[in-house]
Amino acid sequence: MDRKVVVPGDLLSEDAKRSGEGTYIKDGSVYSLLYGLANYRDKINVIPLAGKYVPAPGDNVIGVVKDITFSNWIVDMNSPYDGLLHISEFPERIESDEMSKHLRIGSSIMTQVKDVDPTMKVELTLNDRKLGLIKAGRVIEISHTRVPRLIGKGGSMISMLKKEVNCNIFVGQNGRIWISGGADDTDLALKTIALIEKEAHTNGLTDKIVDFLKTEKEARS
Amino acid sequence: MPVTNVISEIKKDFIYNLLIKGERVDGRTFDQYREISIERNVIQKAEGSALVKLGSSQVLVGVKMQPGEPFQDSPNRGVIITNAELVPLASPNFEPGPPNEVGIELARVVDRGVRESKALDLEALCIVPGKQVWIVFIDVHILDDCGNILDAASLGAIAALLCTKVPASKFGLGEDYILPLRDIPIATTAIEFSDVLMFDPGVDEEAIANTKLTVITTASGNICGMQKSGTGMLKPEQAYRIIDIACEKAREIREKFLEA
Amino acid sequence: MITMDKTDISFFKDGLRLDGRRADELRPVKIEVGILTRADGSCYIEMGGNKVIAAVYGPREVHPRHLQDVTRAIVRYRYNMASFSVEERKRPGPDRRSYELSKVSREALEPVILTSFFPRSVIDVFVEVLQADAGTRTAGINAAAVALADAGIPMKSMISSCAAGKVADTIVLDPMKEEDNFGQADLPIAMTPNGDITLMQMDGGLSPEEFHEAVEMAMKGAREIYELQRKALVEKYSQLAGEPGKEEVHACD
Repeated sequence: MDRKVVVPGDLLSEDAKRSGEGTYIKDGSVYSLLYGLANYRDKINVIPLAGKYVPAPGDNVIGVVKDITFSNWIVDMNSPYDGLLHISEFPERIESDEMSKHLRIGSSIMTQVKDVDPTMKVELTLNDRKLGLIKAGRVIEISHTRVPRLIGKGGSMISMLKKEVNCNIFVGQNGRIWISGGADDTDLALKTIALIEKEAHTNGLTDKIVDFLKTEKEARS
Repeated sequence: MPVTNVISEIKKDFIYNLLIKGERVDGRTFDQYREISIERNVIQKAEGSALVKLGSSQVLVGVKMQPGEPFQDSPNRGVIITNAELVPLASPNFEPGPPNEVGIELARVVDRGVRESKALDLEALCIVPGKQVWIVFIDVHILDDCGNILDAASLGAIAALLCTKVPASKFGLGEDYILPLRDIPIATTAIEFSDVLMFDPGVDEEAIANTKLTVITTASGNICGMQKSGTGMLKPEQAYRIIDIACEKAREIREKFLEA
Repeated sequence: MITMDKTDISFFKDGLRLDGRRADELRPVKIEVGILTRADGSCYIEMGGNKVIAAVYGPREVHPRHLQDVTRAIVRYRYNMASFSVEERKRPGPDRRSYELSKVSREALEPVILTSFFPRSVIDVFVEVLQADAGTRTAGINAAAVALADAGIPMKSMISSCAAGKVADTIVLDPMKEEDNFGQADLPIAMTPNGDITLMQMDGGLSPEEFHEAVEMAMKGAREIYELQRKALVEKYSQLAGEPGKEEVHACD
């Protein structure tokens, strides 16, 4: 696969059909919209180095409650847009005056984007068994642009990681990651995620991570 | 309206759990400073300047001098004017606009160190008694707030003064000369959190702590200025302990970076 | 304030300018990407004696809320000079000049920013002039464009900015302080690499023919700056990639 560092406005192809993510078409040619790495396959996608997370329906995210109104928790998602978690999206039936008993300002939650309207009003839900309040473990932040590599094709990377480091891991599309496990296991998970973040743009990432985990584990035993 | 900065409980807990084990987020010991670097004379248009990096925090201080009128109650003394700009480039929490109370407090504590240590001989800055004296402008420009910008700003101010050239020739007042300094005041700041004292706090540490104490010490080891800030409380024993460490830290910083 | 009659100064010696440049030569340019930790994107630029930092925050929430636009991101640009950046200390805070420069600089960048991607948000661009030496607005725009790219903001292209001037009846590129103060005209422009102009100001006196020549020259300067902006961004990526990944970041045609 061919890759190349590009800046906004770089000509990528004269074939408009190859326009992928992070690109635009002008006069039949494809140009980059972003500063990042252009991946040349059938389509040309530009993967940015940086940028803010923009919520999309179905995304799992980790949020922090920043305010409570009459019927909504307002949730920071490390995004230009706050999420609204309506009282009816809480897994059990609760009254408005007891909202702060369940989720306080400063509480971290594993949540899901239920809906996003055209003005970017973002509705969240906790109505799923895997979602809810984070009570223990670590939450770390990586660039959301690296999340696809951490998850891997069809979830291959993250399943491998969970199994190898023996931790519970919840990956938020917004770049926040929850890790829960023994102290040593958590440490190894953190180190591995840091490596994935650093090497996200390279080929053969899965092999590198497998090797890394093997060496680390050998050093430990 | 300032950007509300909610620090998650899980992060607070993490920092707390580390500190009861005697550790900090970035692996430092409680009284350890982040790496310091000082680059002098970075702004040629200023009479003296210094770019201080304290970990990732960056502060640029410029000193300008010009002749002006003395204050009526001190006709034979030069004037020090210290100003700080917490420009919005430096932090998502800084807003454009005139200095707020945080910026003014910072400028005043930086000023206090320079003034109360008597580092500048103000009488020597008199040109014509009652008529004309040197005005020393110390302008602090915060570039990147990654915690403890007060210590970085104080360090920048004294480092910039140490390389300041009095621009006498520009104003027909004889030859330029190096601004003489009589002391090197150093500010050191600690936060208190759950009975633990941590020096040189990073942003997250600053966010969880309610009490901060800045101690400015002179080369002879005396205290020439202090500032407690934050809504928390401090016990006398904690202040004594901070002062003991502050003197020690200030001496190390002074010897390593300013007494060349 | 120093006053000098323009006839007192000779702008050329042996066909070269006061600082030894040819008429169509830029001052030395240095660009560093991502020099601030807190900002989402940042850039430090030196153009001659100008030292300027730009930081980008956002897209982020708009305060106060009534400024929100439900269809797109708003862009704010704040040009500010440090008190010690000029010969005679400047009073801190904005003045009429900095408001005007902020406005035209924002308008120089906004045409390429895909603001419709981020309704109800703001993209903040903060430019701090640490040392001024004629041409701070162009340096600011150049740094801001790089900082926007560094922040991952989608843009149709980069923006590059440069001025041309007229001294001793000669059109010169990128005027320095003396040429700016005592010259006959100053024409700063900003443009896309294709040559679409997004900023154009002029003061002084130019004939239509001289104007034509000056625009051509400023555009040549802007194209050279574009190459340097591009190079700085590409180099930063290679640094981040580190040695292991480096060999895989190669050109393809």
